[in-house]
Amino acid sequence: MGKEIPAEKSLNLIRERLCDPTFVFRPLSASSDSNYSKLKFIVSTSITEGCNNSILLLGPRGSGKAAVLDLVVGDLLEEYPDSVSLIRLNGLLHSDDNCAFKEIARQLCMEHHLLFSKMASFDENSQFIIAMLRECGLAHKTIIFLLDEFDMFAQGKQRLLYSLLDAMQSVTSQAVVVGISSRLDADQLLEKRVRSRFSHRKFLFLPPSREEIDSLLEHLLFLPADSSFPNGYVSQFNEKIKNLTSDARFKDILRTFFNANSTVNSLLKFIFRAVSLMNLESGLLSLENFKAALSSIQRQPKLEAIKDCSILELYLLVCMRRLEVKEQSSYNFISVMKEYKTIHDSFQTSDYYAQNVCLRAFEHLREREVICYAENRGQSQTGEYRLMTLMISASELHQGMRSHACCPAILLKLLDH
Amino acid sequence: MAREESSKVTRRSTRSSSSASVTVENPEPNESHSPTIDDLTFGEESITLDALLSNFPGRRSQILDFIRLIGPLDCPILPIMVYGSASTGKSSVVLQTLRHLNRPFVYSSSRTCYNPRILFESILNQLLLHRKCSSNGYSSAKRCDKPSDFVNLLREALSNVIGTLDSASGKGKMVYLVIDNVDLIKYWDKGSMILQFLFSLYTVLKMPQLGIMLISGLPPDVYYSNMGYTDPLLLYFPEYSEDDLRLIFLRNQANKKLYSAFLDVVLRPFCRVTRRVEELSTTFSSLFRKYCEPLDDLGVSPNEEMKRRLYSHLKPLIAPCLNEIFRVSSHPHDGDTRGERRQKVNYSSETREELEVLDFHMSSSAKYLLIAAFLASRNPATLDASMFDSTGGMDNRKRKRKVSEKSMEKKEIAEQEAVMKGPGSFPLERLLAIFQCIASVGDSSFGEEGEEEEEDPTGYDRESNNLMSDILLQVSSLCDANFLVKSGSCPLEGSIRYRSMVSEDLALKVARSLSFPLAKYLYRR
Repeated sequence: MGKEIPAEKSLNLIRERLCDPTFVFRPLSASSDSNYSKLKFIVSTSITEGCNNSILLLGPRGSGKAAVLDLVVGDLLEEYPDSVSLIRLNGLLHSDDNCAFKEIARQLCMEHHLLFSKMASFDENSQFIIAMLRECGLAHKTIIFLLDEFDMFAQGKQRLLYSLLDAMQSVTSQAVVVGISSRLDADQLLEKRVRSRFSHRKFLFLPPSREEIDSLLEHLLFLPADSSFPNGYVSQFNEKIKNLTSDARFKDILRTFFNANSTVNSLLKFIFRAVSLMNLESGLLSLENFKAALSSIQRQPKLEAIKDCSILELYLLVCMRRLEVKEQSSYNFISVMKEYKTIHDSFQTSDYYAQNVCLRAFEHLREREVICYAENRGQSQTGEYRLMTLMISASELHQGMRSHACCPAILLKLLDH
Repeated sequence: MAREESSKVTRRSTRSSSSASVTVENPEPNESHSPTIDDLTFGEESITLDALLSNFPGRRSQILDFIRLIGPLDCPILPIMVYGSASTGKSSVVLQTLRHLNRPFVYSSSRTCYNPRILFESILNQLLLHRKCSSNGYSSAKRCDKPSDFVNLLREALSNVIGTLDSASGKGKMVYLVIDNVDLIKYWDKGSMILQFLFSLYTVLKMPQLGIMLISGLPPDVYYSNMGYTDPLLLYFPEYSEDDLRLIFLRNQANKKLYSAFLDVVLRPFCRVTRRVEELSTTFSSLFRKYCEPLDDLGVSPNEEMKRRLYSHLKPLIAPCLNEIFRVSSHPHDGDTRGERRQKVNYSSETREELEVLDFHMSSSAKYLLIAAFLASRNPATLDASMFDSTGGMDNRKRKRKVSEKSMEKKEIAEQEAVMKGPGSFPLERLLAIFQCIASVGDSSFGEEGEEEEEDPTGYDRESNNLMSDILLQVSSLCDANFLVKSGSCPLEGSIRYRSMVSEDLALKVARSLSFPLAKYLYRR
């Protein structure tokens, strides 16, 4: 009992760390040539020198673009509390120009304690924003626009981007636009009039190197010595982690994991899974936890879907596969039933069911998206006559049927011939 | 089946009935009962882990995994996605586990909340402890239909709730958001945007106090195409195995031994067709009634001999049941007598005959109309004239004698095409013309064969006139019964075209009941 509480506490602590991106990315940004330092330099010089700037942060999803930006912004807010104001937009939420202007106006009003009108029109909002930009410029206050999912703003007429960047051309305004996108060609999506106003500063976020991963693991998993944990427990826990991270098998697990996915966020997810499997009685992490986490993260949904199929559903899948092998490029339920019948006629299988039962099985397959309608046209036809396609490859079907709990041998044979 | 029912009931009752039970106590909840923060937890008393595990046979590892992922009190959590095919206990397990842990949560299903606005507002209503009632005109607490508004309102509501939770004891300061049937969102208008938004809600919101749980009937790979997709933690609910199903069906049975003997007989063959609890349970409940018929005392524990006797009683029923999707017994007596007859008469021949009989009633003019529609859908329109000339389509057979290799091949391809295309569409005029032809042929053939009662020539006229009356009404009622389908208008003529949805078997059956020689009129390639 006395031991369970520190175990829970350490679990809590590590999980909190994993869910807090600023904690995770703090050590990665320490070095002087990291994206963090460069970004901070650029933004802080634009603040101190009162100039306009625009920057793009590019990199795969989960590589910590937003987290690093948050770190930078947080530090700048501490350093220059009076001369920075933040506007956050997200392309997922505000890709509609009208909505984006409203949100900017709302945040500006919040920031400067003004009354925000929900009813304000697009025009009023945009005039208000330009006026605010000028006012802030005169007061030597820099407005930083953070545009997450930048590529979404590049859809449509790009009015938001144009009016922001155009307003920044004037001498009085003082603003920084930072775009975040997982599309590396995000700046190519811009219209000519927008692109010409955009300074093409880009930061690329790369997956972490081996050393960085090691230090990150250390940073995440080691318990602090000075906290309220019992002293013996902390050293025991840290000792175990040290053994673990130097273990060759652990490195193997990590390598297989990184073969599939190499961003920091996916690593966090993996560690989260492993940590949540931690044995609360011993209160220590073990190699088994990481092994189990790896197997639960590497899922193969298609194979699982085949394992979920009943025998009849497997028959239908095999029939469809056979039709495909016969180079019959398109087929519908009726032709599958024909094939099903010929199989039954030539092999006298015990699994021959009426058409409506098969149709239900067919619908089950469709619900699971193992098969789907080939085209959206022809809605007027009933389901039986609409063209179908298999959503799984032949090898997946093979593999899935071989690992199926009770797949009849004849089906495997039928699949091959 | 009892398990499934009970879990269904609890699922339905999760949030709505905790409020419903309150409403029963005081019909006007707004007067005396204002919802408190406690209403965010399950409402009823929590259950122990053992009870939870025994409530869900075959879900042990999933439940334990889920509890571990949620973690101890106050643990932040990355978004989770629970997935698995229908009726595998996803929603029930998630909700009952939250009940076991006694954590506050918000549950919304996109089945009932069928558009973004209703979904967002239902989540916010629950968080703001707002209940729709007559005094507020059944309106929501906040009006919100855009994701951007939702995020702002959600953030506000959450910080309120978490603030009050902090002072309340024992619940931790985490709130869980459970969104059920996420896969349905795919079919919404702009559904992929909403899905993308839900998947990245955690990163957009930046509030680790909100644990997001999505329940999906589809595997995660169908969401990959959405560009905003970030992988949540996955929890997979596989289909129940045969052993799991046995445990599930044995729950809540009065006589476990008898039922187990019954399952020995039926479970294996039915599992080959489907492993869904809901589908199996409907069949099993009626089959078990049949199984028990020879027994006087249902409390008896069967010995080997009795099992054998019961098995031989049930055996003939299994095969037809396997070939039926559901059994709607509109005439229970009829079913009973059939069952009795089955016991006596040799079974296989009996079903043969039974299959020949139409199991629904239809007026004969509707039957003719049905056949006419079937012919109009199957035959090419150009052949109508030769089919329905004075000779009555008899020469159809003789047209091709010689069958060369090439024509065989052509025939096969044509057949293939016919299968691919499905039934053709036809205008109303053609249907009526064919109907008129076959109705008169049918009458005359009755006369020739002398099967029907003798009729005088004036009777013919009257009869066919009778058949022609109210024909448009018949067409519309066939449409309502889905035998005919309106398939849009022809781009050239602009009139509505119809399509027959009847299978060949049914059409032949109907024709046989009229003794109409359908095969003669059907054009075979």
